[in-house]
Amino acid sequence: MNIYNFKDYYMKKNLLIIPVLLVLIIIFPSCSKKSSHVSNQVIIGIDSDIESLNPLFSFSGYENNISELLYLKLVQSDWDDENGTLIYEPMLAKSWQWNSDSSAITFYLRDDVNWSDGKKVTAEDVVFSFDVYSHENIQSKLYDTFDNFFLHRSKHIILDETFEIKDPYTLTIKFKKNSIPSFIDVDLPIIPKHIYGKLDRKKFTTLEKEITPVTNGPFNFTKWDKNQAIILTANKNSFLYNPGNIQKIIFKIVPDYNSRLTQLKKGEIDLMEDVRTDDLPSLKSLDFIQISPLPEREYDYIGWNNIDPKVFKKKKKFVPNKLFGDPLVRKALTFAVNRQEIVDEYLGDYGQVAFGPVAPIFKTSFSDLNSLVFSLDSAKFYLAKAGWNDTDRDGILDKNGIKFSFPFYITAGNPRREFASTLLKNNLKSIGININVKKMDLQILIPKLFAKEIDAWMLGWVVGIPLDLYTFWHSSSEASQLNFTSYKNDMVDKYLEKYKKVKSKKLKSKLAKKIQALIHKDQPVTFLYWIQNLIAYNKRIQNVKITPLEPIHYSWNWSVNK
Amino acid sequence: MKIKLWHFIILILGVIILLNVGMLVNSIEMLWLFLVLLFSDFKHANTQINISIIDYLISTFLIIIIPVFILIYNKQIKILQDKLTFIFAIMTLLLAVTIFAPLTASSNPNFQKDLRVTKLLTPFSTVQKLFLKKNEIKQENNLDYFILKKDEVIKKSFSQDFIFVNSVKTSGSDVIYIQKNKEIKIEKDKILFVEGKPLIESKTFILGTDQYGRDILSRLIYGTRLSLFIGLGAVIVSFFIGIILGFIAGYAGGFFDSLLNRFTEMFLAFPILFLIIFIIAMFDSSVFSIILVLGASGWMSLFKIVRAEVIKLKTKDFFITAKLIGLSNYKLLTKEVLPNIISPVVVNLVFLYGNVILAEAALSFLGLGAGNNYPSWGGMIQAGQSYITIAWWMIVFPGLMLFITLLTANELGRKIEHHFNSRIII
Amino acid sequence: MNKEIILSLTKRLVTSIVVLLLMLSFLFVLLRYSPGDPTQKFISPKLSPKLALKVKESFGLDKPVLKQYQNFLVNLSTGDLGISYTYREPVISVIGKYLPFTAIFSLLSFIIQISLGLFLALYSIKRKGSWIDNFIKKFSLSVYALPSFVIGVLLVYLFSWKLNLFPSSGLKSFDHQSFSFFGQLGDYASHLILPLITLSLGGIAVFYKYLRDNLDETFNAHFVMNLRSYGVTEKEIIKKHVIPNSIGPMISVAGVELGILLSGALITEVIFGLPGMGRLAINAILGRDYPLIIGCTFVAGVLIILSNLIADIVRAKLDKRILKEMIN
Repeated sequence: MNIYNFKDYYMKKNLLIIPVLLVLIIIFPSCSKKSSHVSNQVIIGIDSDIESLNPLFSFSGYENNISELLYLKLVQSDWDDENGTLIYEPMLAKSWQWNSDSSAITFYLRDDVNWSDGKKVTAEDVVFSFDVYSHENIQSKLYDTFDNFFLHRSKHIILDETFEIKDPYTLTIKFKKNSIPSFIDVDLPIIPKHIYGKLDRKKFTTLEKEITPVTNGPFNFTKWDKNQAIILTANKNSFLYNPGNIQKIIFKIVPDYNSRLTQLKKGEIDLMEDVRTDDLPSLKSLDFIQISPLPEREYDYIGWNNIDPKVFKKKKKFVPNKLFGDPLVRKALTFAVNRQEIVDEYLGDYGQVAFGPVAPIFKTSFSDLNSLVFSLDSAKFYLAKAGWNDTDRDGILDKNGIKFSFPFYITAGNPRREFASTLLKNNLKSIGININVKKMDLQILIPKLFAKEIDAWMLGWVVGIPLDLYTFWHSSSEASQLNFTSYKNDMVDKYLEKYKKVKSKKLKSKLAKKIQALIHKDQPVTFLYWIQNLIAYNKRIQNVKITPLEPIHYSWNWSVNK
Repeated sequence: MKIKLWHFIILILGVIILLNVGMLVNSIEMLWLFLVLLFSDFKHANTQINISIIDYLISTFLIIIIPVFILIYNKQIKILQDKLTFIFAIMTLLLAVTIFAPLTASSNPNFQKDLRVTKLLTPFSTVQKLFLKKNEIKQENNLDYFILKKDEVIKKSFSQDFIFVNSVKTSGSDVIYIQKNKEIKIEKDKILFVEGKPLIESKTFILGTDQYGRDILSRLIYGTRLSLFIGLGAVIVSFFIGIILGFIAGYAGGFFDSLLNRFTEMFLAFPILFLIIFIIAMFDSSVFSIILVLGASGWMSLFKIVRAEVIKLKTKDFFITAKLIGLSNYKLLTKEVLPNIISPVVVNLVFLYGNVILAEAALSFLGLGAGNNYPSWGGMIQAGQSYITIAWWMIVFPGLMLFITLLTANELGRKIEHHFNSRIII
Repeated sequence: MNKEIILSLTKRLVTSIVVLLLMLSFLFVLLRYSPGDPTQKFISPKLSPKLALKVKESFGLDKPVLKQYQNFLVNLSTGDLGISYTYREPVISVIGKYLPFTAIFSLLSFIIQISLGLFLALYSIKRKGSWIDNFIKKFSLSVYALPSFVIGVLLVYLFSWKLNLFPSSGLKSFDHQSFSFFGQLGDYASHLILPLITLSLGGIAVFYKYLRDNLDETFNAHFVMNLRSYGVTEKEIIKKHVIPNSIGPMISVAGVELGILLSGALITEVIFGLPGMGRLAINAILGRDYPLIIGCTFVAGVLIILSNLIADIVRAKLDKRILKEMIN
């Protein structure tokens, strides 16, 4: 064999390797393909990777879900569907007692809870958690939310005045005078002191990254494959453990919506959120899929800036907006939005037209509000009444030489709002209003909204539980930065202040009704629709509890059919 | 007999004219009324004029002028006498459809109405149009006449003259129309009756509709316009940047030369798609910013060609003489440099054109395109991707269009390259 | 000679560093003057201006731009690219998690492109003028004109949704570790086959076209005719003379292609949800994670420059004339 022949042979072989590899590759999956229905585990399809497992920094929904599975709270919130209120159940605290004037609460902790490294969970850990959550150097998600506590000027909780540890399992928390504390103030996952206490607080955010989570919850952290999956295993030492329930929860990251859907249909994942109504027919045809809507607490709205942004920027003065300063105009614009069509064609049976900021889950009835049903004729009528006519007959309304045309901002990457704004644009055009829809990143849009620079936009809010109207509708710019439209109505302000102070549920409901009626009359924004987040899951999962709080709630109680 | 290019052009334009006779007549009438208005009521004529009217008038004008022009001058223009090839045919079709979009598109690309009926229809679906009674518009002056005609000619994105329905029943004093399993009653006096029957027309969506009930074919036609426009704009931007910087670098030499070289290398070392996405995401994504960014990311090879040529020429006698007799830099560039490198530059531009169109589509696909205000291929593909399991037509047709255009651009580039090369060899 | 090579390499190195520095400064300036606020994301809706300031401070964004730039340069010189805002980790370690995948994935694709391109070109030139040659020629042109996102979406539609042969996204199954070694390999393979096809098709067409044209030219060159007349076998001519003479010009194309691949196959990664540099970079851009954007671009730039350098070295090895050109 001479050298060339050898080379020849070698080269041929090289070229052959590729087809052979390809064939192998094609054959392989058939041997490795298996059903994912391994007993006792549930796979949840999520759209993007989480950024932190630490409850201090769990900003996104799934981060919250995961950190709640890993870390216990003092008390566990649950939803009372009948009354539309939050209720709290014992968790790390087995019982508690408010003092006579509700200015302090004593928690009696369970003594059978261990951290995953074997150390006991004690009141020290609880105090430490409050210390870290409110510390100014740590920038936790809850920083600056502890208004009912005794605070330093840096908003850090004054530990000596607030906490009193009677024994390792008994802790009293004292609140500030004249505050109205509730369980919301203590609704946070507890983190281990013996792990995080050692860290330098200035460098905390980077140092904590290198620590494997030490947890106390119903699940233990097993693995986090960046951009692939997060795996949690049931904690056998937890008092919540039940050998009959699921032993593993896997959060599988599947960025593409259609892939998630296909995997759900194929049984590769067991649960996903945000199913589009267009895909319901194909899901409903599969008998092993259950579809459950999350009750409505999320709505989209169109914001009309009530004040003139230019004057505000220059002189910090509130002057009515040239286009939307007049409530008649805003009413006309609401008439011009075919909300029912958007609901019918995008949300289907899983949404309803919205009239105000109070979510349907709170069970307050608003049947007496005039619903401003889509009517282009009414829109034209009210616009004419407000002085907007097409005097030069170019197809666009005008008043005092100003044309009714404006840029309209929506957030990038939200198909629902894109859908709504496309329909809106066409409806407005037909009554002589020209809008230019612009997509903008949320991160650019939000600072502009805070600066009140934008005339008209479409955004959504998830209504907080419990209901908070003050930050959104009160006219004082100090306390309610989220009043992006700069809406101002003295009566509404008065009711809002009252709402904050009263405790009776009945009175609160009554006030909410009054506030909503006034807002509806002024139409500072056009409320579009309430959205039900559609959850689709495999029926083999038992005990799924769908509440407005989270789709993945109480999942330590889940079990699977074999 | 060989079919020549001009035969084909005449054929295509003829078909467009034949299909739109009524509209062309109306359009000419509109032009006449406009001229009348212009002399009688200048102020209003001024406010009436807008881009879509100009677009319609230009289309009308060109579709009549071009065939006449070709018939007279086809002997003089060499390229028209070329044999019709596949590429020429595709290019002619694309250009004709795009330039005469107002005539070739059956509706406004953004037209949508009654989603209940028109949403996500398969290709060749047919729905009924039930016409409503229009309010009588009084016609008193020239302005009224013009506006009436304008409404007749220009396709708008909305209409209150009719509703889309699946079928219509008449029973007693009411008319009942059906919109997807839903029966709706409507009073008789709201409907337009012709010879005792409600006026109903059927409308076919040849390529189906999208999730907003918009006609895919019309969107594709206008999308072609946008994509070709962005491509052209970006190529022009690249051309100027490349030529000017190349000339400066080659001509000035020394420090400027090495500075510009490093600058070019910097652009070459950038992952270009990142750079584009970066700028679009950070700043703004309007049609013009996309043109600018795409243009600013494709000039590097032109720079190299021009620079090399200038350095080569700089030492040549005729160049030095030209400089001595006081030819300006602009003249030097256009008279001495460009003619020498025209062939690689043109080939480069054609390939660049293909790349730019592709990049624009890729940007839209990633959701960073020119937005929803204008239809574009990439945007349509991106929208289609999320409906791929329910509406294949939303993605297949724009994908096909993109494919054909890229194929044509590449082929054209190769042809020109070949053409120049063979000439150089001779 | 060696001295000259070292000299030329140092020269290359210096200009490369200058180019990289220029690039990073350009990026830095663009970033600081672009709208949008990277701190926004970390602030709960009930924004407290105080916290916003705190976060800004911790990111070093409260200082004047010039000062920030100075700090940036000082850190850069010590190899510190800063800390990612979103991951709260050093940029280097974030990139370290994504780069290996991209490196393996793009090298695999590169090998497939080159070898299949070469294979097809040889196959087709040997049958020059036959229907199969023409078919491959036409087909490669069509493939070249097919945008990768259209290919990707259609492949997913066909092979994973309709035929259910391959998974539609991800790099491996979540229970990957429970498999045997071959099972794991197969798992990777089944996840990567569609992405590899999507990423490689265009490149195969390009290499095929270049190679076929060059091969065609060399085959008709005088020296090949001479060799034939000396009675050298066709096989030997191809191996010893035609291929080495034809791939020279292709190598710089290959260098550019490799650089682009290594900097992240964005579209493919997006379609198939793969954890690569492309997606990391785009997420950094959309999340306004300044240090990470700079880090990604820096790494990508280095890789692009490196692969061009490698291409030049390979070319120089094949052809001594180019070395001289390089030195000058």
